[in-house]
Amino acid sequence: MAKIDNGIVIDHITPPGRAFYALKALEIDENFPHSVFVAINLPSRKFGRKDLLKIRNMKREDLNIEKLSLLISGSNIAYIKDYTIIKKEKIKAPERVSGVIKCPGLNCITSQHEDVEPEFTVLNGQKPISLRCVYCDVIFNVHEHISLML
Amino acid sequence: MINQKGFETSHLIAIRDLEEQDIQRILDYAKLIKQKPSDFSNRLNGKILALAFWEPSTRTQLSFETAMMRLGGSVTGFSSSAGTSLEKGESLSDTITMLANYADGIVIRHPLRGSARLAAEVAHKYGVPVISGGSGSQEHPTQALLDIFTINEFFGQLSGLNIALMGDLRYSRTISSLLFALSKFGKNTINLISHPSLRLQEELRLDLEETNLELIETEDLTEIISEVDVLYVTRLQKERFPDPILYQKVKGSFQLRSSLLKSAKDNSLILHPLPRVDEIPYEIDRFPQAKYFIQAKNGVYVRMAILDLLLGDDSAE
Repeated sequence: MAKIDNGIVIDHITPPGRAFYALKALEIDENFPHSVFVAINLPSRKFGRKDLLKIRNMKREDLNIEKLSLLISGSNIAYIKDYTIIKKEKIKAPERVSGVIKCPGLNCITSQHEDVEPEFTVLNGQKPISLRCVYCDVIFNVHEHISLML
Repeated sequence: MINQKGFETSHLIAIRDLEEQDIQRILDYAKLIKQKPSDFSNRLNGKILALAFWEPSTRTQLSFETAMMRLGGSVTGFSSSAGTSLEKGESLSDTITMLANYADGIVIRHPLRGSARLAAEVAHKYGVPVISGGSGSQEHPTQALLDIFTINEFFGQLSGLNIALMGDLRYSRTISSLLFALSKFGKNTINLISHPSLRLQEELRLDLEETNLELIETEDLTEIISEVDVLYVTRLQKERFPDPILYQKVKGSFQLRSSLLKSAKDNSLILHPLPRVDEIPYEIDRFPQAKYFIQAKNGVYVRMAILDLLLGDDSAE
């Protein structure tokens, strides 16, 4: 895979296939103007198989780390400038998130037309991450409700 | 004071978030009030309590009204959406904002889970306490407080008890709150008697795993009735069954019978949050163990205690 001059590299995305979720969280679609390299199912000594993303001209401030942390926690981000890694960061599972995903609870007050931001506690940092709604207490697996991401 | 997690001032929205000492304080104060209610008749003079009831209620609404009046305060509010701006689609947030500007405290009953928490967040901006009168199938904290007040009144303790919960355990908010309340007081044995489709919610079961409650699933009260200290019966809600024929078929299994009570302990209690339909036939009322009307009466003292602790002038002590 080609080296990039400027941008980010997200490595150690596991289990394989999660790179697609990361692309969604990064809002990368057919309108994205820069080069994106996607590698799925690469062999990995540590994990067996992994995914990897390289995105040109994306910066730290362009990332929604909260969303990424729900989807690909444990992955590493390297920030590249002039072909050199200037900073590395591990994506950690959050303890609490708000405003990144809607509650799937059918009887939750946050599903109504109310002035409230959905908020969740993270039940454990293991994959797949489970969330518990602060309002209605419903517990759900993030990966089964990707379509509810805001 | 009652310190709900996440709030600097005081609200009562979920038993799950309360500490044992908060609950004990309410119980002790309610006991004091019950001994001589007239000593408390001026505690909330000049205060106004708003009742925001999006769902119909008899006991919760009337006992809050009674409690407020017995403390010298007065009541405003609505008991259904008919004839109010709610019919025009006004949000909960806007309604609570308005009431927080009118009243000194708000009691909310709403069909959706999380409603009481949202109301507390909104009213908190105005320094107005919110008390949940039931939020969907989630919690009914004041019901649980009057339930354990009654249990404590008869047993003098809230641990080491053998308690049977029978009926709808899945959608009953009183069951959730009662289990959370009992879990704060040490080891109790809880027999869960219900139709498989009405067993405890998984979320609730997960929360209770970390407590001292010993949960035992059973489908037959006959086998355990002689061991039970408290039999807590809830109404089977016909609309919760996927099939009306199934409801007709199973409802008899969760109905009390006089013959069954002959094996019950003399000092045991039969409780019910009311209203009952036919799960407790009228003939059961004549058994000395039937305490559900005393339980309902205790609701006034417990709610007086809660109102005074939250709305009283020295409530910020």
